[in-house]
Amino acid sequence: MAEVVEVIIVTVRDIFQDEAGRRSRFSDEYKNLSALIILDKQDMIRLEAKDGQKLLVKNDVGSVVVAAKTSEDDMHPGLAFMYNSPWSNQLVSDNVCDGSIPGNKRIKATLSTTEENMDITQISELQARMQS
Amino acid sequence: MAICTGCSLLCEDIVATYENGALTHVKNLCRKGHGHFQAAFTERTVPMIDGEQVTLDRAIAKAAEILKSAKSPLLYGWSNSTLEAQAAGIKLAEKLGATMDDTSSFCQGILMERILSGKIPSCTLDDVRNYADTSIFWGSDPSSSHPRHLSRFSYYPRGEKRQKSYEEERTCIVVDVRKSATARLCSNYYFRVAPGGDAQFMEAILAVLEGKIPKVGDKKKMIELGSHLKKTKWGVIFPGPGMIDSLQDKMELFERLLAKLNEITTFKVIPMVGHYNMRGFNELMLEKTGFINRVSFKGGAAAHGPEHSALVAAKTCDAALVIGSDPLSALPFCTAHALARLPLIAIDPRRSLTTDAAKVVIPSAISGLEAGGTAVRMDGVKIKFEPIIDTNLLSDEQILTRIMEAI
Amino acid sequence: MVGAMEIYMLLPKTNCKKCGLPTCMAFAVGLLGREKKVDECTPLIEEKKYEAKLKKLREVMAPIENASETGLIIHPERCFGCGNCVVACPVNVAAEPTRSAVGLGPESEKVILRVEDGVVVANNLKECRRFGPNKTLCNACTATCPSKAIEFV
Repeated sequence: MAEVVEVIIVTVRDIFQDEAGRRSRFSDEYKNLSALIILDKQDMIRLEAKDGQKLLVKNDVGSVVVAAKTSEDDMHPGLAFMYNSPWSNQLVSDNVCDGSIPGNKRIKATLSTTEENMDITQISELQARMQS
Repeated sequence: MAICTGCSLLCEDIVATYENGALTHVKNLCRKGHGHFQAAFTERTVPMIDGEQVTLDRAIAKAAEILKSAKSPLLYGWSNSTLEAQAAGIKLAEKLGATMDDTSSFCQGILMERILSGKIPSCTLDDVRNYADTSIFWGSDPSSSHPRHLSRFSYYPRGEKRQKSYEEERTCIVVDVRKSATARLCSNYYFRVAPGGDAQFMEAILAVLEGKIPKVGDKKKMIELGSHLKKTKWGVIFPGPGMIDSLQDKMELFERLLAKLNEITTFKVIPMVGHYNMRGFNELMLEKTGFINRVSFKGGAAAHGPEHSALVAAKTCDAALVIGSDPLSALPFCTAHALARLPLIAIDPRRSLTTDAAKVVIPSAISGLEAGGTAVRMDGVKIKFEPIIDTNLLSDEQILTRIMEAI
Repeated sequence: MVGAMEIYMLLPKTNCKKCGLPTCMAFAVGLLGREKKVDECTPLIEEKKYEAKLKKLREVMAPIENASETGLIIHPERCFGCGNCVVACPVNVAAEPTRSAVGLGPESEKVILRVEDGVVVANNLKECRRFGPNKTLCNACTATCPSKAIEFV
């Protein structure tokens, strides 16, 4: 059984994801480039995950199911990256400190592999949560 | 020539060809800009009330009715609108006694305040091209966010005093939590910081500049950085969301760093503004109200404070108008949730999570492509543009004026 | 970029010499150097058992066969359209001292690199410094690319 891994998620930008979002926020292209978490090799091993493995990312604010992707960067175990999107924003707290900036850059969350039948969180699901 | 409103570089050398309602060929647009131009042909909005298509007149009348009956409406967005539309927005906010805020509120605002008040020295991007020998990207990754930044201004072009450019005369330094696309271009000058570690790194630079031993980082590399900064003739720092988010209420530390650097040599700062006219909104608000963002016009006079940030106002207001922005995608879940419960008016050329949740949707012309106007580049340079595609759609400015007339 | 060994693994490995070379490894090197074409390995084309290998070989060879005479390959799907290469290319700079050299989009027909439809395209490759008798190992375009969208083979 793979471990539950704790990470700090930093949201970053990606030009391909940005381009896809400009064309459509509702396309599979945008979903596939947004619903991703980029992990260090060591964290991938701890999760027994390969690229494309669905992971449940969860914290006090919310949860999403996204696909894992191995980082091309040097070693950064415990540090994960997500592209700015409605998926990453499910995990961002609106509790702000004095600068009144939401904590997009230091999101604490846990990662675990999902049951086989769990799919990547759809944009329609995210919309339903917002409007509930 | 067209200009690109895809980001705050406002590239002016775009050659675009349209045929039969499609973009057929375009020169000089980056990948991001290309996506922006293609967006003119996908996911366009139509006037809607409660998800049903209506006439534009009815949508505008409904928007006016919602705003008029609200006790404390929020007018949010603005960074993707022309100066002309922003001016119309401020008039509307005054008339309604509304709260007005833009995207700078969550990011570049705390730096922009200091740039516009002169507390932190700034310059134009053309100065950077002509004079800069050191460009520091701190918590910013222009290759991903402003793709032509390095080629037009900060690293690769030849400038008046920099004919040998990147080969001999320019150095590019990256301070970031990850080895970004930009960091890969200057791997000898890449400094990795831990999330939230920017203040410590800043103190370490201050220490080496003062001849002390730095407390964090690779000491040898830090000392090398210190001597490089001392040798710099004309430097510039481009802070991005990474630095701002990490520093937050410690911005004084950045002021101290700039003051120290400027005792030794010349160092300027240009904030890496994302949206094409965020700076324009901040400048215009400052001129009209004395504050760059987070303003309430309730009771007549402009009041400023964190309680007027869109994050807070989303929870306290009773209606919201969102223009040229998709807060339901871009803001934290709880804020998106708070906005979605409101009677929401979305003025947007294109379908978004916000238009999907809106009670009233008003389609607008895309500025730069279908509507002309003026915008302020990230460095404060004003750029005027003309539309390149014919349209019957109203501009943001025209829509806001119509709403105002109906109130 | 694919290596000779990877290409060799997709060949019949019989050293039949029908291609005119003594070994399959030599043929692999020939393919990589663009001196040989896939079709010259007749067993691979004619014998059904090599069908899967042939398909894979054509896939890996496609970018190499498309390379220009200077060996320049562009991967448009990786390109950011940032124009770093456009501004850095010494031929572009010499052709347009007041445009490409200072960061503006090229207008002249003489430039090698320009950005069209969001990605870089190459023209006039005869002008590239890597071409012709006085060639140099200029790498201005590859060294300034943030995404390895340009390569030389």
